[in-house]
Amino acid sequence: MMASRGTGAVLSRAARMRQKLQSALEASALEIEDVSYQHAGHAAVKDNANETHFNIKVVSPKFEGQNLVKRHRMVYNLLSDELNSGLHAISIVAKTPKEFGS
Amino acid sequence: MASTAASLRLPSPPLSAPAAAASFSSATTLRFPLRRRGAARPLAVAAFKKLSEASPVPIPPESAQPPLDEEALPPKPGVYGVYDAAGELQFVGISRNVRASVEGHRRKVPADLCASVKVSVADEETPDRAVLTNAWKSWMEEHIESTGKAPPGNVAGNNTWVGAPQRPPDLRLTPGRHVQLTVPLEQLIDRLVKENKVVAFIKGSRSAPQCGFSQRVVGILEAHGVDFVTVDVLDEEHNHGLRETLKTYSNWPTFPQLFVGGELVGGCDIISSMAEKGELSALFQK
Repeated sequence: MMASRGTGAVLSRAARMRQKLQSALEASALEIEDVSYQHAGHAAVKDNANETHFNIKVVSPKFEGQNLVKRHRMVYNLLSDELNSGLHAISIVAKTPKEFGS
Repeated sequence: MASTAASLRLPSPPLSAPAAAASFSSATTLRFPLRRRGAARPLAVAAFKKLSEASPVPIPPESAQPPLDEEALPPKPGVYGVYDAAGELQFVGISRNVRASVEGHRRKVPADLCASVKVSVADEETPDRAVLTNAWKSWMEEHIESTGKAPPGNVAGNNTWVGAPQRPPDLRLTPGRHVQLTVPLEQLIDRLVKENKVVAFIKGSRSAPQCGFSQRVVGILEAHGVDFVTVDVLDEEHNHGLRETLKTYSNWPTFPQLFVGGELVGGCDIISSMAEKGELSALFQK
């Protein structure tokens, strides 16, 4: 992380998403997959857009006792800046450590 | 290959493909083209039972408990023929999910036309479309050879089996952009989701969703036989401003969005996962 800052590189959207989700959700597992290429012809994806579609799998103790709508909202809320700046859709799998283990 | 597939109008599951008359060969009045297209694939057909070899399974009424077991009517790709109460073959179809298709017929078609079904499933889990088409052709030919006529449900113009289902049109929030709204859009949304039990806000129309996720949700709801209405969030003429207002109303940033009884149930991921776990039926019975 320091290295990338040192070289002045801008963090990718995927990297920013990872940081936000990891720290806020204390995720014990977190997979972020860029599937934008699958939506290249998509009407809503404008010319130069990349990093528009992601699959996210996240395991967090904070999902305990929350229904799916609430879990997805937690993820969406954490990524609201991204959703407002070109992130078009994310597919979310949100589990608690207990559900993930079983 | 691609052009061949595109010109065949097959009742893909769950019976959502309305047959287009334009795709029929003029040489036949049948719903599917019987015309040979290049080299047939005899090997593929050999994998299926013949119509005369398959044994009929009674179709229980919708509410029957326990439902017909999956061994007899498997949720797998294959060819099937539905018989009426008198034992006459009424319709031959192919499907990626024979069980779902037959259940769809049972809901749509009068019960006396849907008494029993013969099924032959494909060997592969995801057979090529041509494999299924060939199986359909050979069942049709077998039946026509022995009786001299096609099953009534497969004759063009008969919409009993695969005609476009009676779908309500996409709902519109306003009569058009030129009309001054007297109530805020948010209130219109609120009224709409409370007055309609199941509402899907989707991108595109119900018959032609413009987004894969919207399409999947529509497909799942139709496969479950759910009575639902749709609203096209891309319709700028009638639903101008809906996308932004709905995002705030539901506190949900993406589409599609499904509401049941005025409450947000979720988007595509949640609906898909509930469908997989078998939780959807319970939701719609509430």
